[in-house]
Amino acid sequence: MTSRERVLKLFAGEKVDRLPCFSGMGNVTTEGLKKYGYKFAALHSNAKMMSDAAASTYRLFGFECGVVPFDLCVEAEALGCEINVYAHLEDILYPTIKKKLIHNEDEMDIVIPSDIANRGRVPLMKETIGVIKADIGNEVAIGTYVLGPFTLAGQIMELNDLLKLSFKKPDKVSKLLNTLADVIILVAKEYEKAGADYITVREMGATSDVLSPRVFKNLILPHLKKIFAELNVDSVLHICGKTNDIAAFMLESGAKAISVDQKNDIAETRKKIGKDALLFGNYDPYNILVAGTTEKVRETIRKCIDEGVSAVWPGCDIWPTVPPDNIKAMMDEVKNYRR
Amino acid sequence: MVTEEKRQEILGKLKNAVIQYDEDTAKETSKEALEIGVNANDAIFNGLVSGMEEVGRLFEAQEYFVPELLMCADALYAGLDILKPHVKQLDLGVKGSVVIGTVEGDVHDIGKNIVKMMFDVAGFTVYDLGRDVPLDKFVEEQLRTDSDLVCLSAMMTTTMVGMKKVIDNLKAKNPNVKIMIGGAPVSQDIAEKWGADGYAKDANNALKDAINMISSLKKLKEEAEAKKNS
Repeated sequence: MTSRERVLKLFAGEKVDRLPCFSGMGNVTTEGLKKYGYKFAALHSNAKMMSDAAASTYRLFGFECGVVPFDLCVEAEALGCEINVYAHLEDILYPTIKKKLIHNEDEMDIVIPSDIANRGRVPLMKETIGVIKADIGNEVAIGTYVLGPFTLAGQIMELNDLLKLSFKKPDKVSKLLNTLADVIILVAKEYEKAGADYITVREMGATSDVLSPRVFKNLILPHLKKIFAELNVDSVLHICGKTNDIAAFMLESGAKAISVDQKNDIAETRKKIGKDALLFGNYDPYNILVAGTTEKVRETIRKCIDEGVSAVWPGCDIWPTVPPDNIKAMMDEVKNYRR
Repeated sequence: MVTEEKRQEILGKLKNAVIQYDEDTAKETSKEALEIGVNANDAIFNGLVSGMEEVGRLFEAQEYFVPELLMCADALYAGLDILKPHVKQLDLGVKGSVVIGTVEGDVHDIGKNIVKMMFDVAGFTVYDLGRDVPLDKFVEEQLRTDSDLVCLSAMMTTTMVGMKKVIDNLKAKNPNVKIMIGGAPVSQDIAEKWGADGYAKDANNALKDAINMISSLKKLKEEAEAKKNS
């Protein structure tokens, strides 16, 4: 069974020979960058470089996917925000939004640009998905991601204001989220056309570390449902931080799989959502994968599998400085460990 | 001289205004406190801060979440803005100045702002560098202000690693400076490995740590007063 078959069969609910080890989020490594002599900050605006770097984690370590992009700013940029890629730095920093779109409550009634599919880096992302698909698409599944509406809202306006308004004026926030859900659907459809096999919706802003499960259910979930109802390819809903109390809602969103991080008690979640639901997670991509020993990595992977994940998958983007021995130990453990 | 009964009433009102995120009441009651002669320090620590302590408890019990916390903080600031000009400088035997900011690459500043609020309350001089702060800036600002404490915040794993550099640089330039790091991805392990003096892992812990710090300051102050009165 190839990695591609394994991942696609898993999504289809069919039998697989073993759990796949992949991700729906960024997983570029400094080893991969070294292989091509690329600088991290340069990847975000070049289809060939982005694709090479994304494919290198599969080429070097057998990590079972190819995922682009590496940053979280594509949708916000298409809406008109300015981003910072930190081109002046040698260190790896992920791009951030430097200029917001909404500056106060009165500006929340935004209109979606009619040419959203051609704005910002959306065309570049389409091109990149095509490039990586042609490169390794026969061997692994090609993934991409979009933000969830609440997380996107937190990028285009002050998070501080958004959070308070979620409490004080939920109707106003809901209206914005509804518009942003449409933006996300439009962008995701372009990615589908470009050949993405699966799309992860990253809604980390709605973690239970920040919002109550009740607000999640009433304010966020309806918009997530709308998005997943429109997606045709396989889909994953990712939320990091505390998620035990919202795991069932996450599944209710209509996503084919849910993804959680190391703060989730997988055994408990598995009990709650039943044995057949697809639950991806949940090793710590920095404290374990980068900073841990190979033995600690193996132990953690075994724990994920024992507790009942459907795929061994990181809690967030993999931090690029991951030691090669650690990622090799992870792949080896997934391939050889049997519960 | 205000009666004990009236004082308790005012303190209770301030406390509840913070808990119920009622900015208007926090403002009005703070003005009333000053008018009738409640000591500004008393009103801050035993009214507003006492309310924030309860908010911390509600947050921990998951009755309150970040939106509520932010609104409570607004109510606290509404009162603090009125009361603070009337606070006589506390003599705590510490200089109490702090450089605080979110590290470069990270635009999340809510946790940082909550910690900052508690420093404000405690009467520290706060040099807030904001968010997405270039790493060298922390070192420059500490040297410029000769602050006792530097607080670094990061919300994302992807930016947390920048903290190590700042810690190394700060310690090299000034071995006596105390460094506190905080944010979701940070752990006790990392704090120790990187040589930070303290850490707070999330908004809740940041608030708790900051409250603990204020509580110990309160104790110092009470001890100083007890000594003076004996």
